[in-house]
Amino acid sequence: MLNPFKPEKAVIREIIHETADTTTYTFSFSEANLQKGFRYHPGQFNMLTIFGIGEAPISISSNNNMDSGVFQHTVRRVGNVTNALAKMKVGDSVGIRGPYGTGWPLNVLEVKNLLLVAGGIGLAPLRPVIQEVMYRRQDFGQVELLYGARTPGELLYTREFEQWRQAGIIVRLTVDAVPEGVTWDGSVGVVTKLFDEMSSEPFDTLVFTCGPEIMMSFVVRGLVNRGFVPEQIYVSLERRMNCGVKKCGKCQIGPKFVCRDGPVFAYAELLTLPEEVLGGVAG
Amino acid sequence: MSVPVMKVTEMKWPALSLLDKDGIAEFAENLAERYLVFGPVAKGSEYVFAPVGKGEVLELNYHTTILPPKKLLHQPFEVLFSFHEDGIQENIVEQPKQIIFGIHPCDVHAIQILDKAYSVEYEDPYYMNKRKNTLIIALNCSEPAETCFCQSLGTGPFLKDGYDLLLTDIGEAYLVEVGSEAGMELVEAVNLRPAARVALVEKQKVYENARRKFRKRLLTQGLHELLESNFRHPIWEKLKEECLACGSCTMVCPTCFCYNVVDKLDLSLKSGKRTREWDSCMLLEYAQVALGHNFRKDRDARVKQRIYHKLLYYEPQFGTLGCVGCGRCIKTCVKKIDITDVVSRIRGE
Repeated sequence: MLNPFKPEKAVIREIIHETADTTTYTFSFSEANLQKGFRYHPGQFNMLTIFGIGEAPISISSNNNMDSGVFQHTVRRVGNVTNALAKMKVGDSVGIRGPYGTGWPLNVLEVKNLLLVAGGIGLAPLRPVIQEVMYRRQDFGQVELLYGARTPGELLYTREFEQWRQAGIIVRLTVDAVPEGVTWDGSVGVVTKLFDEMSSEPFDTLVFTCGPEIMMSFVVRGLVNRGFVPEQIYVSLERRMNCGVKKCGKCQIGPKFVCRDGPVFAYAELLTLPEEVLGGVAG
Repeated sequence: MSVPVMKVTEMKWPALSLLDKDGIAEFAENLAERYLVFGPVAKGSEYVFAPVGKGEVLELNYHTTILPPKKLLHQPFEVLFSFHEDGIQENIVEQPKQIIFGIHPCDVHAIQILDKAYSVEYEDPYYMNKRKNTLIIALNCSEPAETCFCQSLGTGPFLKDGYDLLLTDIGEAYLVEVGSEAGMELVEAVNLRPAARVALVEKQKVYENARRKFRKRLLTQGLHELLESNFRHPIWEKLKEECLACGSCTMVCPTCFCYNVVDKLDLSLKSGKRTREWDSCMLLEYAQVALGHNFRKDRDARVKQRIYHKLLYYEPQFGTLGCVGCGRCIKTCVKKIDITDVVSRIRGE
């Protein structure tokens, strides 16, 4: 019987330090056939094991189309597993199983214009969307990213912004605060502040957002106030998960299993749930 | 030409037999020679499912057991695999064939719900491996306990399917009905007296008697709408104060399937085991994520999660209610929180 709980060995090929507490790891499965058959959609996640420490759900921050026999996770040091991972080096191995969950509805819905709204580490599951846009740019219309972090030093993927802009993606940045001695000519304030200057309009646009739940609750409210409807807004939720395959029960919200029915949900779908999601907006 | 074959099977299965009450021990011992047999045995003033056949006395006149027989399929603690420097050793071993003897209809229904939970989309090999090697000798309930309300949910007191053998206490003996090929083989291996068809009339009398004895009920009519429209009912504020969030109700629940995963390192720090253990949505840490954010920090959110899951969310998930009316959560709650009472109070009864 196939065992969905058995992680496969994956080796760290490269480590890129993004910020003081966030790192992008490039992995490949030890077994070549596994790596060859590993296909995933933007927005899906893997269960990442550090043997002896535990397992955690981590979104995949790379895109299949750029496949060079590797995949990436961008990980912030916040818990047992991620802190243990932070101590590892190139050549060390971890356990990986996946991919799990639904991704962003890129191949499901016809997408023309895209508005991406990210906060902090929430940009990680949206990076594969940006890469998808760059891969087949002609299929998309206006693509805009609103990205906020606490400080300029905490912005992820800064080395890639120029590339994104060259692909015609509008990138607007904001930070909550600028520490003394740091130069910053961008916006200051929460990410929803960028709504005042954004180019995106509701017509023919899908919104993908990921960040802290409280941020997303302001994002969805702010967009609805600007004429967007819940059906065109997609959010990626975080919940505790111990299995990724609808068994351990931890990630349930109402009848939904975030690991399988999500982590990406249409905001309209969340509004049908009895339990509060996104800071009490629903219900 | 499958018709004659069908007929033979049909003829075979409804064959009724009688098992004398003083022959139960011998029957169980006989089974124990070929199977691991678990049945209700006394433990203090309560009952538990324990191995029988080697001196342990089957107590078929039990009301309910402390833990449901779920523990024989989804174990309270279980090793998923061991890991070491060279790789992973899966802990899926050939399971011995087991029999759950004397299981009540509510608990059989609960196993059918677990079967769905553990096979939907991704099969759980640990559960399914045990389940496929488990036979069910069910026992219809003639004496529902004070806390029982299976009748309201259609999960008891009598069983319609889902058994290999089904026993009914019809007074001087147990009426034995066969529900599967495997059950037929069990019957054939021992000498049982054939029963006349009239025994079914006796069975019906026992059923009617049992039905009259229920003291609790949970009205399911309009339950979905009721719960959906009462997420902010004042009762939740009261329960927030009453409930101790100890998790006992979920530990004794026959349909709760949640678990937590824990890695246990050996002293060498180089090898260890990944284990899983029962978890509970009533516990504070259940919905907590990294950096300490908790999606169900308040007790009322957790009380609601349990009751809403059982009575509202199971249906879209698995096509059935999540409660079988076994009454264990009512019996075990130190604060006497009673799911049937919660529903009646929301109904304004």
